[in-house]
Amino acid sequence: MGLLDEYLLSFITFFPLATGVGLLATSALASLRGSAGLPAPLWRAVALGSTTLTFLLSLRLFTAFDPTRTGFQFTEHVPWIPDYGINYFVAIDGISLLMVVLTTFLVPIVLLASWNDIERSVRTYVFFMLFLETGMLGAFVSLNLFAFYLFWELMLIPMYFIIGIWGGPRRIYAAVKFFLFTMFGSMLMLVAVLVVYYLSYEQTGRLNFDLVAPPGSQLPALLDTQIPLTGEAVWWRTQFWLFAAFGLAFAIKVPMVPFHTWLPDAHVEAPTAGSVILAGVLLKMGTYGFLRFGLPLFPAAAVEFTPWIVGLALVGILYGSLVAMVQSDVKKLVAYSSVAHLGFVMLGIFCFNTQGVSGSVLQMVNHGVSTGALFVLVGMLYERRHTRQISDFGGLAKPMPVYAAFFGIVVMSSIGLPMLNGFVGEFLILLGAFLAHPLAAVLATLGVVLAAVYMLWMYRRVMFGPVEISENRSLVDLGVREKVVMLAMLIPIFWIGVHPETFLRRIEPSVIELLRQVEERRAVGPTPGVEMEAEAEPAEPPPPAAAEPTEVEEPP
Amino acid sequence: MITPPELHLTAVLPIVIVAIGSMAILMGEVFLSRASTVLGRKATDIWVGSVLGFASMAFLALALYAAWGAFVGGTTQVFNASHPLLQLDRFSALISAVVALASLLSIALSISYLAELRINHGEYYALILLATTGMMLMVTAIDLLTVFLGLELMSVPIYVLAGFDRRKLRSNESALKYFLIGSFASALLLYGMALLYGTCGGTSFAEIRAGLDPSNPMALIGVGLVIVGFAFKISSVPFHQWTPDVYEGAPSAVTAFMSVTVKTAAFAALLRLLLLAFGSLEASLTNVLWVIAALSVVVGNVMAVIQDNVKRLLAYSSIAHAGYLLIGFVAGTPAGYSAVVFYLIVYMFMNLGAFAVVVALANHGKDCERIESFAGLARSRPGLAALMTLFMVSLTGIPGTAGFMAKFTIFAAAVNAGVIWLTILGVLMSVVSVYYYLRIPVLMYMREPGEEAPRMEIATGEALVLIVCAVAVLFLGIFPNDGSIYFFGEIPLLDWARESLEPLFAS
Repeated sequence: MGLLDEYLLSFITFFPLATGVGLLATSALASLRGSAGLPAPLWRAVALGSTTLTFLLSLRLFTAFDPTRTGFQFTEHVPWIPDYGINYFVAIDGISLLMVVLTTFLVPIVLLASWNDIERSVRTYVFFMLFLETGMLGAFVSLNLFAFYLFWELMLIPMYFIIGIWGGPRRIYAAVKFFLFTMFGSMLMLVAVLVVYYLSYEQTGRLNFDLVAPPGSQLPALLDTQIPLTGEAVWWRTQFWLFAAFGLAFAIKVPMVPFHTWLPDAHVEAPTAGSVILAGVLLKMGTYGFLRFGLPLFPAAAVEFTPWIVGLALVGILYGSLVAMVQSDVKKLVAYSSVAHLGFVMLGIFCFNTQGVSGSVLQMVNHGVSTGALFVLVGMLYERRHTRQISDFGGLAKPMPVYAAFFGIVVMSSIGLPMLNGFVGEFLILLGAFLAHPLAAVLATLGVVLAAVYMLWMYRRVMFGPVEISENRSLVDLGVREKVVMLAMLIPIFWIGVHPETFLRRIEPSVIELLRQVEERRAVGPTPGVEMEAEAEPAEPPPPAAAEPTEVEEPP
Repeated sequence: MITPPELHLTAVLPIVIVAIGSMAILMGEVFLSRASTVLGRKATDIWVGSVLGFASMAFLALALYAAWGAFVGGTTQVFNASHPLLQLDRFSALISAVVALASLLSIALSISYLAELRINHGEYYALILLATTGMMLMVTAIDLLTVFLGLELMSVPIYVLAGFDRRKLRSNESALKYFLIGSFASALLLYGMALLYGTCGGTSFAEIRAGLDPSNPMALIGVGLVIVGFAFKISSVPFHQWTPDVYEGAPSAVTAFMSVTVKTAAFAALLRLLLLAFGSLEASLTNVLWVIAALSVVVGNVMAVIQDNVKRLLAYSSIAHAGYLLIGFVAGTPAGYSAVVFYLIVYMFMNLGAFAVVVALANHGKDCERIESFAGLARSRPGLAALMTLFMVSLTGIPGTAGFMAKFTIFAAAVNAGVIWLTILGVLMSVVSVYYYLRIPVLMYMREPGEEAPRMEIATGEALVLIVCAVAVLFLGIFPNDGSIYFFGEIPLLDWARESLEPLFAS
């Protein structure tokens, strides 16, 4: 296993895409020879097998990960476009480890869950799913800002098609809206990325996109860049604006409240598989982005933004819960509950203490599993009845007792019942919030109550009472495949709930390291900013300043 | 006593090859169409056209080889040292090679398309070769006169080509409109050149560079008119109105040809002019170019959103891309200019690819150009739909494709030069472009097919162009600088773009 271990991350990341390309190649070969190619069920089976293998490999990653070490592990660093400082640089710490495992866990689940759901163009669907998995994993493991941006944008394409081709009636509108919103944020982020890149170039004379120095190298990396914070006018506060640009891109993806309007459309119109991946993984890109790039690169600005972000997170929690409460469509209800849950995650991150941030990372996983499971359950109901209106159901516990039991557990997990996963995350976040922002913590606790209200109310209306609509009497309970899917999803729900230590042990050292970096760089932040200005002013006349970089190194 | 001038024929070798080629094709057409049988085969129109098409591709391949050799050789040669009009340096060699390649691919795309339209005449290939000669002349020129000569030699054949489908009213309209507006632009350009000659006392770039006095209003007007003349050719706002009409009316294969080659040649010539002749005006020109770039990016992208015709859509998109390219000029650094060169090469592949799909869908001479006719294409033509999606994604600038690397290098150079606001405008307008570029994949993948049945077979030439463009778009997107392909060897395109500009900065 030596070679495999050495390249484990690359293997995990690219194995799904390689499978997809391989499948495409067989079909291209077949069409050249005039035959029909592999049958669609075989495509599904191959994809399921390959993503399951990816998951097993990521479990190996999980066990081989050394939680006692801070910093990044499983590092691979290969020059890619060295003239521009663009490298293939992947590595994980505890935070990205969990995201990788979450992603590799959810993809085989959705492939299995959508076995009968997706009927049209199955081959295209399988390919896009595999492509999407590589995109998501790539974004989580990349430590080169350019490569991160590449994967971040790349995963839009398969998701766009998954919503647009296999979605509901308003799928095209939803797909385009999703794409435009995300693209808007990420294009501004691109400008900010370039500004950081050139600030680093001015200070070090080296073009570089690596976030941290690769192992064995003492060269300065992006994180060593001193980004000027202070300035006469607000316009010159570089760090402030850079954080705003990064933050906007991430906030749209999270989504934080004023930028959340794409989410209900995309979630509701997407096919079940798309909703699960959207809620389970894609939303985490935003919060992960804050943790990996937003906070460490712009610590002082992040702290400055804290009241705003905490405020918006609270609005997200309360508004999301209240809107969820009045939904008549189960899927929309789950979608708005995501807004509320992600509000908790953002609140935890901006506590800047170990409890809050660790809780957020854990809650990211929890939300992925619980909300993913909810979407799967709603999808199963939709497959049977082709409606998602709460009023069309009632008393389902009678014809579908197994389904009702699974649904019940997942609902409990989502509202944070102790011994289930949601509780641990929310508890840690609230603990952190009480230390950092007590008032916000009080209001957020209200959100926990509201979550119980809308979830349990929905559960009662769907599951209990008499069966009033005749079609519901003959509903078939879960089949073997569906039971396998749900049982698989219950494993992390119980595991995290009962023994969160397995996960927290891996998260915490990375979180402590992250917070240490933020604290250290925040303390240093303003002073070099002043120095920079003092330096910048005499160097202000353009000719020497403009001529210098060209002499230091040939810019491409 | 008259001393014989010292001529370096190698400096004009690519131009000469293409020029001889165009004459040979014209003659060949006459001889072949008179003969009733050639080599024992009946000389039908289509057969004659195909033979001449292949012959013209051979000439272009030869010119490509010569230009490439000059680029690799790397020496700067002036054709006639005692009276410098043409100078073959690494920059002109690279651009000549690119133009030759684009023309070659366009001809590969045209042969079966013309046969379908029943206009497979030898003149077509002769005109393309003549236009290519003009482009090469224009980018090799170091004198205003040769620039103008090249520009006209490029433009006049293209006016004819735009109207090549002479039985179609729209094609005629397109040709006439292009001709009228194009001659107007040429006249402005010539007037500007005359003013420059008057104020600087010479027409060579060196003389203008030496004699240009920024405080002389005549000289400024002259420079302004020259810029306006080029702004027409690169179709930047506010000199863009002809573009959508001409692109729409011309036969698709011609549109494919002119949309990439004219842009490449005109941008390259403008770059040479700015660097070699107008260097002293850099600051004031930057402001002008800033405005033109901003307007082009905004107008091009916004107007493209409301188009229902793919060719018009691509026309407005080409206006927008002219804007992005001008951002590289505004940056005004070596990095900015080399980004422009890289962008032009990438744009050649992705735009030619997009038009190749339009051509490959043309059914019995009827262009498949309404955007609605792409509906449901993923079912009937999955391969073409996937390729079209790739080209659209690349034109949008999504990472993983060459279009992103091109935009990235432009924006990176602009940010480095402190051109932040224009960059922000550019990226925001890229978001707008998402809407219209992705409309085509939306129709292809997410709608049911309409009544129009697309053509089901694909010609070899079209397939070849599609494959070359798709491979280039993916390859340059992932390895813009450090990839190597078996047989071709290493392809450090970013390095080439940078190196090609060295002779221009050196002088």
